[in-house]
Amino acid sequence: MPQLEQVEFFISQLFWLGVFFVILFTVLTYITLPKIRAFLNQRDDFVKSHISKQDELIKKAESIIENYEAKLTEAKNQASQIINDAKDKALKESEDLIKATEEKIQHEIKQTEERVAKEKDTAISELNDQLKDSATNFLSKVTNIEKGNINL
Amino acid sequence: MAKGESPLKQFEIQPIVDINFLGFDISFTNSALWMTITTAFILIFFTVPFLKVKKTNSVSDLYPTRMQVAAELGFNFINSLLADTVGKEGKKYFPLVFTLFMFILFGNLFGMIPYSFTFTSHIIVTLALAMGVFIFVTVLGFVKHGVKFFSFFVIPGLPVYMLPLLIPIEIISYLSRPISLSVRLFANMLAGHTLLKVFAGFVSALGFFGILPLVFIIALTGLEILIAFLQAYVFAILTCLYINDALHLH
Repeated sequence: MPQLEQVEFFISQLFWLGVFFVILFTVLTYITLPKIRAFLNQRDDFVKSHISKQDELIKKAESIIENYEAKLTEAKNQASQIINDAKDKALKESEDLIKATEEKIQHEIKQTEERVAKEKDTAISELNDQLKDSATNFLSKVTNIEKGNINL
Repeated sequence: MAKGESPLKQFEIQPIVDINFLGFDISFTNSALWMTITTAFILIFFTVPFLKVKKTNSVSDLYPTRMQVAAELGFNFINSLLADTVGKEGKKYFPLVFTLFMFILFGNLFGMIPYSFTFTSHIIVTLALAMGVFIFVTVLGFVKHGVKFFSFFVIPGLPVYMLPLLIPIEIISYLSRPISLSVRLFANMLAGHTLLKVFAGFVSALGFFGILPLVFIIALTGLEILIAFLQAYVFAILTCLYINDALHLH
């Protein structure tokens, strides 16, 4: 087995192993690994900063949503208030109108009734006068008494 | 494979450049060549995608490229491995575990390329890595806890008369850590590559029926790639567990 037979190369192998291992270790420790670590850290920082920024934005968005919802409820309340007011007003107005109209109608009915009654009275009195006239005429003709002397 | 060639020949070390330093033979071999390739690949793979990164805040610059995603995958894999086994204090040891894992992983994976050389299939290399981990973890334990570190060998809540029996067992199991760690990796690589080579020999030996071992080799290559990853993972996770033991004792 050459591993155990070629004893004369042991020192050579140990020497070159030492040389290359030390070179590799030194360069990796002082140049390569710090470079890789810096690169990875940079990326981690970038991601972390973006995550914190994202959290901030989420908080902002949440506050905006809250604000929006508060405003929306306020607007809704206002709208329902306006609607109620308008309803009340309309109702009152229509009631007033109905009342006024009813009053007017009542008034007109009363007036008409009064007029009718008056007209009835006049008609009756006229009829009375006419009847009186014709009765007087009739009587004067029948009795030959002067019209002016007949008093019914 | 030429006929009569040993399946172990692939593990042979061949010097490329003979170097002699103060009487020590430190020749640049095929093993060292593949260590160079592994090191260069890891450095390029993980560094180049991040060279152009600037400080920026625009999304388009932060969007990772394909190569960055691939490099990140390895980074996050070891990061979560350490976080799961050691916890927050483990961050300090991240470069060590990362280097160990990537070096072993790509060493294993490049070893799967035909005609390449798997440096992790050599016990001396894996033992050196495991001893490094073992010494580091032991020193770490002493630095963190001082003499109290020895209480690691005393299992809490055990009757006193059991201690003379269990403390030696604990010490032996602690000392055998680097051996099990290194032999596991070395033996897996050795067995896998040897098996592949043996069956590759059958392909040429059986002529037309060589298609059967060929199919087997294809499946086995997939398994070997899995093992290459798995062994690097096991080495890394055990290192994490040892670090955790040194930091928290029990």
